[in-house]
Amino acid sequence: MRPSALLRLALAGTRTDTVRVLLTAVSAALAALAAFAALTVLAIPTPPATADNMVRWSEQYSNALLREPGLRGGTAFALVLLMVPVLALAGQCARLGAPARDRRLAALRLAGATPGQVTRLAMLETGVACLFGTLCGLALYLVGRELLHRPDERGQLALPTDVLPHAGALAAVVVGLPLVAGLATALMLRRVITTPLGVTRRAARERGPGPWAGVLIVVGVAAFILGWPVLLRRTVDGPFVGLALFLIAAGGLAAILGTVTGTGWISHTTGRLLRRYARHPAPLLAAGRLMSDPWAGSRAFAALLAAVTFGAGAAGLRSHFVTEDRLARQQNRLAGVEAGANPFYLNTISLVDLAVTVAVLIAAAGLLVAVVEGVVARRRAYAALTATGVPRTTLAWSLVWQAVLPAVPAILLALTVGAVLARALFGDADRGPSTTSVCDAGAQLCADPATREQYTRITESPAVHAVPDVPLEQLALLGGGALAAVLATVLVGLLFLRPSTAVEELRAT
Amino acid sequence: MSQLQARDLTRSYGRTPALRGVTLDVDEGEIVAVTGPSGCGKSTLLHCLAGILRPDAGEVIWRGERLDTQPEAARSRLRRTEFGVLFQFGQLVAELTAAENVALPLLLAGTGRRAARETALSWLERFGVAELADVRPGEMSGGQQQRCATARSLVTGPRVLFADEPTGALDTLTGEQVLTTLVRLAREQRTSVVLVTHEPRIAAYADREVTLRDGAVEHSGLELNVPSTGGAR
Amino acid sequence: MNSGRVSTPHVLLGLLATGDKHGYELKRAHDERLPQARPLAFGQVYATLSRMQRDGLVTVAGQERDGGPDRTTYALTGEGRAALDRWLNDVEPPYPYVTSTLLAKMAVALLVADVDRVRACLAAQRQAHTARLRELTVLKHAPSATLDDVVAADFAIAHLDADLKWLATTLSRVADWHREVRHEPAPGP
Repeated sequence: MRPSALLRLALAGTRTDTVRVLLTAVSAALAALAAFAALTVLAIPTPPATADNMVRWSEQYSNALLREPGLRGGTAFALVLLMVPVLALAGQCARLGAPARDRRLAALRLAGATPGQVTRLAMLETGVACLFGTLCGLALYLVGRELLHRPDERGQLALPTDVLPHAGALAAVVVGLPLVAGLATALMLRRVITTPLGVTRRAARERGPGPWAGVLIVVGVAAFILGWPVLLRRTVDGPFVGLALFLIAAGGLAAILGTVTGTGWISHTTGRLLRRYARHPAPLLAAGRLMSDPWAGSRAFAALLAAVTFGAGAAGLRSHFVTEDRLARQQNRLAGVEAGANPFYLNTISLVDLAVTVAVLIAAAGLLVAVVEGVVARRRAYAALTATGVPRTTLAWSLVWQAVLPAVPAILLALTVGAVLARALFGDADRGPSTTSVCDAGAQLCADPATREQYTRITESPAVHAVPDVPLEQLALLGGGALAAVLATVLVGLLFLRPSTAVEELRAT
Repeated sequence: MSQLQARDLTRSYGRTPALRGVTLDVDEGEIVAVTGPSGCGKSTLLHCLAGILRPDAGEVIWRGERLDTQPEAARSRLRRTEFGVLFQFGQLVAELTAAENVALPLLLAGTGRRAARETALSWLERFGVAELADVRPGEMSGGQQQRCATARSLVTGPRVLFADEPTGALDTLTGEQVLTTLVRLAREQRTSVVLVTHEPRIAAYADREVTLRDGAVEHSGLELNVPSTGGAR
Repeated sequence: MNSGRVSTPHVLLGLLATGDKHGYELKRAHDERLPQARPLAFGQVYATLSRMQRDGLVTVAGQERDGGPDRTTYALTGEGRAALDRWLNDVEPPYPYVTSTLLAKMAVALLVADVDRVRACLAAQRQAHTARLRELTVLKHAPSATLDDVVAADFAIAHLDADLKWLATTLSRVADWHREVRHEPAPGP
C-alpha cells in the first residue's frame, strides 16, 4: 500500500473518530508533560560538596523536594507515576468509537487487507495523534519553563526552570510515547484482526471471569510483606536487596492489578446476584449487561481503582506519620519540650494526597468517556428498546445500577488492598529510647557554657511503640469521593441517553 | 477443470455444527448457486471457501494448493487479488466515498490513488452509479450501496466471486438489476461465482444448484442443459 | 398455476378497441400481446366472435376478399365498449378457490402412497419447476426480449418462485402431513 493511500485510510473516520484522535492527543500531551517534569527534576545537577554546603543541596530552589538530592529520585518517580492515570485515560479514549472503527477495519479486512495492513492503519492513527500530542506537550513545556522562571526575592526558584533535560531524553519521550501507544493499539486490535467478519460473528463468550484476581491480590500482598523486612534489615548493598525491591515492586503491582481485574469478577457476580433477585426491568437490564461484558466495568474503573488503592496507601502512610509524630511528642513532653517529629514528611504526604486527588479527577474523566462511549455505542439497542416502549427512566436507572453496583464493592476492595499494603510497607510506629539534655534555667544561664553544665540534666525517654490507627475517616472520605465521582460521571453520561434513544438512530447504520 | 474444491468440510460454532462434511467443486467461469433453508450452513461454506473462516476438518483446494492451511496474511492477499466478496449489506466502509470504497482493493494492493480512482469510476459507470462517486454510503439507498459493493467485488477482476445473498436486502426489481449486471460482467471476465441464496429465482441465474440441509449437501448437480445467459460457458 | 380462466371475449373486445380487425389479425394480436400464453385457436376466435355478434357486442364492419378466403372485419359496438369498461373496472377476486392440479395431486398421493413416494413426487416436481424457471430466466434476459416478454416472464417467474418455495416447505412437512392424513380422519371435502 502506498503511503498516501495508507494515510487516507488511516484518517478516514467520523466525528467520533476525530474526538478520539483529539482526546488521544490530549492524553499524550499530559503524559509527555509528566515525563518532561520528571526528566527535569532528574536533570538538576548536584553541586560538589563545599565547606558551607556539606550536604550538597541545590540551594537555588525554595522546595526541599528539589533542593535535596536524596529526595529528587522519589519526586521524579512520583511524577512518572502520575502518568499511570493519564495513560489509563488514554486507554479509555482509545475505546471511544471503537465499535465503529472495528467495523471499518473488519470491512477493510473483508476487502482483502492483510492483518498487517490493518494493524499498521490503526497504529498510524494512534501514533500520529500521539505524536501530535507529545509535540504540543513539548511546546507547552518549553513555553511554560520560560513563563514560570520567576525567582523570588531571595533569588530562589519554585520550579527547576533553570535546567533543561538532555535533548536526547526529550526526543525519546516525544517519539517513544507514540511508539508505545501504537504498540498498545496493535495489542488491543488482536480480535478484530483475527477475523474479517469482525463482530458480526463472534464465538459464544466463554464462562465469566473466575475469582483468580483474588489470588493475584493475596500473592501480591504476600510478596510485599516478605520483601519489606528484608530490605529493612539488610544494609543498602546487601545481597537480597535486589530481590526485595523486586518483590515489593512486583507485589504492589500484582495487588493493584488484582484489584483492577477483580472488578471483572465483581461485575459478573453482582450481575448474577442481581439477575436472581431483581424484580424490576432496570436492574434486570443492568444485570444482563454486567454479565455479558464484565470486563467493561473493569476497564472503566481501572484508573479510578488504581488511584483509590494508591490513595488508601497514602492514607495509611499519613496515619503512620501521624502516629510517629504523636510518639515523638510524647517523648519530647517527658523531656519538657513541646515539639513533634519533622513536619517535612507530613507536608510531603499532603503533596501525595494532592496527586491522588488529581489522579481521581483524571480517572473520573476516563470513566466519563467510558460511560458516554457505552451509551453511544449501544444507541441502536437503546433506541430499539425505546421504540418498543421501554421508558427512558428505566434505561437511565439501569445505567445507574450498572455503574454503581459493581463500583461499591470494587472501591471497598481497593481501599482495603491499599490500606493493607501501607500497613505492610510501613509497619508499626517505633521510636527507640532517647536521651535528651535539658537545661532548666533561663536563657541567659543556659547560653553560657560555664553555667549551663550545672543546670543541665539528662532525661531518659523509654522506647515507645504504637500501632497506627486504621485511618477510617480518610478512607471513608476517599471512598466517598470515588463513589461521588462515579455517580457524577453516570449522571453526566445520562445526558447522552436522550439523543441516543431517538428512534431515528434505528435508521443509521 | 475445477479450480476451487472443498473436500469434506466440517465446521462448528461452539457446540453447534454448521457444516458436516461438505464436498463441492467450482469450475472456472462456472456460476454455482448454494441454496437451502436458513441455518443450513450456506454462509459458513462460503466463508470457508473464501478463506475467511478455517474449517475444523477437511480441506479447501485453490488451483491445486491447500488454501485453508495458509496463514491469514496469504489468504487476505488471495481475497484481494483472486477473490471478490459480496455480502447482503454493510460491507462498504461508511467513512469512505463510493469511489474510494470501490478503489479500496486496488489501494490495498499498492495501486496509486489516481489510477485506482479511474478504475473505480469505470466500474461505477458499469453499474450505473457513476454520479455517486463522491457520495458516502450513508447517503445512498440500499440498492445504490449494493451496486457499489458489487462493483468493488469485481474491480480486481477476481477469478472467483463469493456472493452471500447479494440481493437479500433489495426489492425484486433492484435485486434483479444488480444480479443481471453481476452475472453479465462475471461471464465477460470468466469469473466463477459462488452464489448463496435462499430464493429459487436468484438461484435460477446459476449454471448449477447445490442444496444444503443441516450442514450437508442434500442435492448436488441439478445441472440443467440450459442455454447460458450470454457469454460462453 | 394462476387461478381462474382467461376471459377470451374480453381480451378480444380489448383488441378490437384499438381498431377494426378480422379474425386472423385478432389471433395474431392476441399471441403478440400475451407471449408465452397458450396460443389461441382459429376456431375459438370465430366461435367467440359470432357469439359476441349475437349478443350485440361486436358488429361486422366490412367484408373483403382478395384472392383468399372471406375476410370479415369486426368492429366494437357501444355496448361492447361498455362491457369492456365494466370488465376493466371489476376487481378480479383473488384466489377465490384454492385449486391447483399440483396441490390436488399431492393430496391424492398422500392417500394412496407412502411418504417416500410423495417426497419423490415433490422432488421431481421441484426439478421440473426449477428447469422451467431457468428457461424463463434465460428467455427474459435474452438480448431480443421485448418488455412484453419480460413482463410475461416476470409473471411466470414470480409464480414459479412461489411454487418452488411451497414445494420446499411441503417437502419438510410431508411426514407430518402424511401422519395426519393416515391417523386422523381427514376433514370434509
